[in-house]
Amino acid sequence: MTDVPVSRIRNFSIIAHIDHGKSTLADRLLQATGTVKSREMKEQFLDNMDLERERGITIKLQAARMSYIAHDGLEYILNLIDTPGHVDFSYEVSRSLAACEGALLVVDASQGVEAQTLANVYLALENNLEIIPVLNKIDLPSAEPERIAAEIEELIGLDCSEAVRASAKEGVGIPEILEELVKKVPAPKDTVDQPLRSLIFDSYYDTYRGVVVYFRVMDGTVKKGDRVRFMASGQEYVIDEVGILAPNQIQVDSLHAGEVGYLAAAIKMVEHARVGDTITSALNPAIEALSGYIEAKPMVFCGMFPTDADQFEDLREALEKLKLNDAALNYEPESSNAMGFGFRCGFLGLLHMEIVQERLEREYNLDLIVTAPSVIYQVTTIKGEVVLIDNPSELPNPQERTKIEEPYVHLDIMTPQGYIGTLMELCETRRGIYIDMKYITKDRATLTYEVPLAEIVTDFFDQMKSRTKGYASMEYEVIGYRENDLVKVDILVNDEPVDALACIAHRDKAYTLGKNLVSKLKELIPRHQFQIPVQAAIGTKILARENIPAMRKNVLSKCYGGDVSRKKKLLEKQKEGKKRMKSIGTVDVPQEAFMAILQLNQS
Amino acid sequence: MMALPLISPNICNLEPQGFYIHIPFCRRKCFYCDFAITTGKTELQEHYVEVLCQEIALIAKESFPYTAALKTIFFGGGTPSLLKPCQIDEILQTINRYWAIANNAEISIEINPGTVTVESVKAYRSLGINRISIGAQAFQDQLLDLCGRGHSVTEIYEAVAATKQAGLDNFSLDLISGLPTQTLSQWQESLSQAIALEPKHIAVYDLTIEPSTAFNKRYRAGVNPLPNDESTVEMYLMARDRLQGAGYNHYEISNYALPNYQSRHNLIYWHNQPFYGAGMGATSYINQYRIDRPQKMREYLAMVEAWTQGNSPINPPQISDREALFDTLMQGLRLAQGISFEHLINRFGSASIQETIPQLEAYSPHWVTISPTHLYLTQPEGWLFSDEVIGSLFTYFFDCPHPI
Repeated sequence: MTDVPVSRIRNFSIIAHIDHGKSTLADRLLQATGTVKSREMKEQFLDNMDLERERGITIKLQAARMSYIAHDGLEYILNLIDTPGHVDFSYEVSRSLAACEGALLVVDASQGVEAQTLANVYLALENNLEIIPVLNKIDLPSAEPERIAAEIEELIGLDCSEAVRASAKEGVGIPEILEELVKKVPAPKDTVDQPLRSLIFDSYYDTYRGVVVYFRVMDGTVKKGDRVRFMASGQEYVIDEVGILAPNQIQVDSLHAGEVGYLAAAIKMVEHARVGDTITSALNPAIEALSGYIEAKPMVFCGMFPTDADQFEDLREALEKLKLNDAALNYEPESSNAMGFGFRCGFLGLLHMEIVQERLEREYNLDLIVTAPSVIYQVTTIKGEVVLIDNPSELPNPQERTKIEEPYVHLDIMTPQGYIGTLMELCETRRGIYIDMKYITKDRATLTYEVPLAEIVTDFFDQMKSRTKGYASMEYEVIGYRENDLVKVDILVNDEPVDALACIAHRDKAYTLGKNLVSKLKELIPRHQFQIPVQAAIGTKILARENIPAMRKNVLSKCYGGDVSRKKKLLEKQKEGKKRMKSIGTVDVPQEAFMAILQLNQS
Repeated sequence: MMALPLISPNICNLEPQGFYIHIPFCRRKCFYCDFAITTGKTELQEHYVEVLCQEIALIAKESFPYTAALKTIFFGGGTPSLLKPCQIDEILQTINRYWAIANNAEISIEINPGTVTVESVKAYRSLGINRISIGAQAFQDQLLDLCGRGHSVTEIYEAVAATKQAGLDNFSLDLISGLPTQTLSQWQESLSQAIALEPKHIAVYDLTIEPSTAFNKRYRAGVNPLPNDESTVEMYLMARDRLQGAGYNHYEISNYALPNYQSRHNLIYWHNQPFYGAGMGATSYINQYRIDRPQKMREYLAMVEAWTQGNSPINPPQISDREALFDTLMQGLRLAQGISFEHLINRFGSASIQETIPQLEAYSPHWVTISPTHLYLTQPEGWLFSDEVIGSLFTYFFDCPHPI
């Protein structure tokens, strides 16, 4: 089965914006090549995390090997390497693209190219991939394949005269796509004789086999029993199992240059076999690793605390397990006066954070309170030391620091022209610096700004979507640190500062932020038996104050008759509600309050 | 067979002496209502009465050897007055086939304005019904409209007049405070109008926004146009003030009665005593088994059908003495007189008191009063915070299931 000549292998991935039909198309390809029988077909086969299927987006990427007999009568091996479709995971995308020679560019024939897609196309071009444009969803009445084809030509400079018109949903265009792959995507280079070099594009932890590594063999051959070295981590392991992904794992004896597969070697954690690392032979190592390896660094931080203090150890274990599988996840113990013991966790971005939170809650049954996300600040102290602060409550006092620098991103937003005004306004209110605006077609433009990352990790994305009815899309990349006049805004509940609610903001925005936060908290914190003042302050200077009036009643006067069970259900709800709150002194604060900063409507 | 229950000797003396019958039909569903109701047609009503009578017979069979005569029967709804008097008669006769009904039994029916006439009330009376509960709710057409009540203020007066003309003077009025847009002066007016009609009993409910109601889609508790807590507390206190001034005793958190006119049927609930129950959504409490019947018509009909075949569709665990103690406290604290220590000792032993008192001391004397003989919520302040007090007992009893 593995004995295919390199000349008849085609490695490709699919580039598409969320909702443009990538998963459906992948499903159709698997069906058309008989890789997955129709009756086994779950919708969106490649996305196998529950969360992914629910949200219809790919987070962990996957691969599938298909066998296809082309019109020339020869059998070809098509390896589809799926890519995650979110900005948090652009590094993973770049690695899976590096494992391919070609890519299908799938564009919704009524919506056109989005920023995310564009960024990925550029990544593909950088990796020298052959790009085959596919105009999808042509069955929709709103489809305008001509206009979109013109847009792609203008935008990317890609010849679209032979673009495949498809409807993955209806199965239209699938045979044409398969033929195009064989004809246009170059075969991998035949470097079977060289020392082994394999590129890791994904890995996951399996309880029984250790880390399972997905890779593309770039040079040489790899087989069961080989001792291999992971060049970046320096770890060595003996391979227990080599196989292909069809898309279920099937063991084979060996894999050679051009092929895509998996290996298991009782690898202890994903960190030992990170995405982008090069696998080589321990006995006959390659001189140089494959280029492009970067260690993913967390950019967004938040505190995660168990609602029930007894779950602290469970949370630690759960994070340890997730970490086995997620090299980009960072965490260290944190103790907060309001929240007790928990962890300060670092993520690639907001989505990554949300995913981890949901997995902890769903898969590990933990009840969590999560603080508002923060970025990492560089603070220079009066002693001239530079410290990295990822937790606002740890910011040194004003008299102990000389400056604070914050991360900035280069932000590209693609939008229909009608929304340029409102998007510019959004960027300005988020302290954005205007860089450029280009019309990519006569009615679509790219706006470029440099914006502090802290302004992006709140509700920027949601704001952008709601201001443009969902039409705009964005892409950003961290470009470095810049000094700003930043201050720490403290929140005091019943005269006690709450560390978990502290945030860092620009001085000019601190007053509005404080005012909004305080009035939001007034809504979120329930009445108690006494009046509760809620204040925002910079140091000793009070920016805003609201009072939560004392509770006047807590009574259910309705006569449920004999329906005692029902009243008890309500009491149970009241009890659970109280349990999910954190006590700050004598005040019970609900979980939502700690995310209040995200809920502020800053528009 | 339905798991009704061998009788444990220590509560043999607690035989059910009340019977709740649920009549789920309504012309339309009020916007605040989340009771088990259905807007079914006449044919369905006939079928329902038939099935209900089957259920009553099954209950009788299972409840052997209970023999005590019934002291209360309550037709609740829904709108029981949508049934024809002959259907009520059929239900009462079925009950009477299996149980003795005490001579002075309280037999109540809930009616809605717009669904009764002098003739129908007379017919009820001839069947032995001696108490009528009228869902007035408000005395402003605009508020009735807003609640989706489907009747006018005039129809409230007509219903009361019909009741009185039929010679039935033991009637109760229901009122709701805290309605959307309701002002204090409107509330004062409703109270005055209600008092002027000289009911024997008045129930005053503070509106709760229940999840599956039309109100829940439109309004948020405490947020305009719903009155804020300050206003609803004022309404509560105003009702207490006005009604007590008119001679009514505030004998339960939301119920007022002239002397000797307390709702005897509801007192069974508040004393946490056993009672029979039949009909869609009805609960029964027999030998410390609390059985909640299905809230949906189809499921209820299927349940009785299965029961006829000998399959018990519901089989909840028996309530432990400890849970029964909590229930007794929860229900009893609704009453002005509260719970007597003697009763607690007789039913649950003296340890029950030693355990309960320390949980309540923190609330004494502002919310809870501990007298030498009774335990009760301090009035009216304790009633306004009753769910704080009961909630803390709930947390105590259910988070620490074993006595210290």
